[in-house]
Amino acid sequence: MGEVIVITSGKGGVGKTTTTANIGTALALEGKRTVLIDADIGLRNLDVVMGLENRIVYDLVDVVEGVCRMKQALIRDKRFNCLYLLPAAQTRDKNAVTPAQMQKLCEDLRDQFDFILIDCPAGIEQGFKNAIAGADKAVVVTMPEVSAVRDADRIIGLLASNELTNPQLIINRLRMDMVKRGDMMNIDDTIDILGVDLLGVVPDDEEIIVSSNRGEPVVTGNSSSAGQAYRNIAKRLLGEKIPLLNMDTEETFIDRLRNLFTVKNKKRTWKG
Amino acid sequence: MIEESVRFKGTRDGLNIYAAREADLPDIMDSFLRKLQSGKLFFDGSKVNLIFIGREFEPEEQKQILKLFSRYMKPGTVEFRGNPEPQKEEDLSPEDPSGSFACLEEGMTRFIRGTVRSGQCISYKGNIVVIGDVNPGGELIAGGNILVLGILRGIAQAGADGNVKAVVAAYCLLPTQLRIAGTIARSPEGETTKPSCPEIAYVKENHLFVEPYLPGKGRQDPMLQTNRI
Repeated sequence: MGEVIVITSGKGGVGKTTTTANIGTALALEGKRTVLIDADIGLRNLDVVMGLENRIVYDLVDVVEGVCRMKQALIRDKRFNCLYLLPAAQTRDKNAVTPAQMQKLCEDLRDQFDFILIDCPAGIEQGFKNAIAGADKAVVVTMPEVSAVRDADRIIGLLASNELTNPQLIINRLRMDMVKRGDMMNIDDTIDILGVDLLGVVPDDEEIIVSSNRGEPVVTGNSSSAGQAYRNIAKRLLGEKIPLLNMDTEETFIDRLRNLFTVKNKKRTWKG
Repeated sequence: MIEESVRFKGTRDGLNIYAAREADLPDIMDSFLRKLQSGKLFFDGSKVNLIFIGREFEPEEQKQILKLFSRYMKPGTVEFRGNPEPQKEEDLSPEDPSGSFACLEEGMTRFIRGTVRSGQCISYKGNIVVIGDVNPGGELIAGGNILVLGILRGIAQAGADGNVKAVVAAYCLLPTQLRIAGTIARSPEGETTKPSCPEIAYVKENHLFVEPYLPGKGRQDPMLQTNRI
């Protein structure tokens, strides 16, 4: 029996699609039968990131409406035999599908695959409701940034009211140099607010943009740190205990001096 | 065991000293001495109003007693009341309604176990207690008091029906906005550090005050320490 995992964030642009593509590919690398479902109907991207755009004939809406069979709509990945994509329709909108239909779709895929990853659209409307309907488990992607964390918090609350308690968190696009300077929220601050389990931290990496443009998930190469982070996340999903990637660069003498002189306690004054 | 011929009772007004009506003076003086001796460190020359109740004392006896007491404390006003009036005795016993137990009469309380997240709003006509955090974007609206046993980062509105005595207390008070009755305060602009101890917010003369409520905090402040005793 496969596990249905929805990858969501609330806010757009934090890397849901990239995360879905990379975790899916990493799971396939581990030999797991995996299917990626693009639930972002009308604004599909997952096929582009996977480099499978030109192979789409049928899509999710066609399957739901009975225009085609599931097997016809599933696109096999060009690199891994055990990896499939169910693309979204581009000419329709989120209301083309109902949560009940998504639930049935996930159930149908369960016995053919080990992992079913759903790429959730941004927002909390119909598309979100569809995407989470059939899921057993949720992964929340956020960036170490106030607005993204705020939206993630809202999403965690909505997931809980839809019986998806204890989602796991991925902190994406972390920049250690900025964290050091105190210009970016650190991992602890983020977890402190959201109060959920951490699945992984992905460093900000230029390689992501390059690989997305090329349609090759970054986990397939060995060069990037983001790829390594995604491979670790996939292993953690499989139950392995992998420590967090060490993103610390060497602390310089100047850093230490600066830390020494940073004023720790700013005066808190209240404005009536 | 013979019953103690005198009894001391501290009140807001001073020290009430009850002496058994039938006891004779040497006995009473003896009891006074023993009581004063055992409470020596407590009295320690402080100024105390004395109210003698029960036995009537002759002027000569009164002088003698005062002499004894002034060895241990500075007597303030001294009053020899004689027979206790029943009504006087009575008003000592019931707890002052404005005292520490007044909160028991502040209505029902709703307990929230878990985190109140962005977009969630808890509204209740009584008090609200959150066993968990309130995240930014989360909102608590209570007719009474609000207590958060975690970090309060969202919006808290206490005394929503206009109760100016309502308070907001949190283990870590970092709200986006605080409202008590008709008073609104927003958190300081810019970077803030986590308060090191629990804090309580209340309204006084239309201004919102936030101050620590842990006794531990006082230890850092010598002024508070002397006031506490």
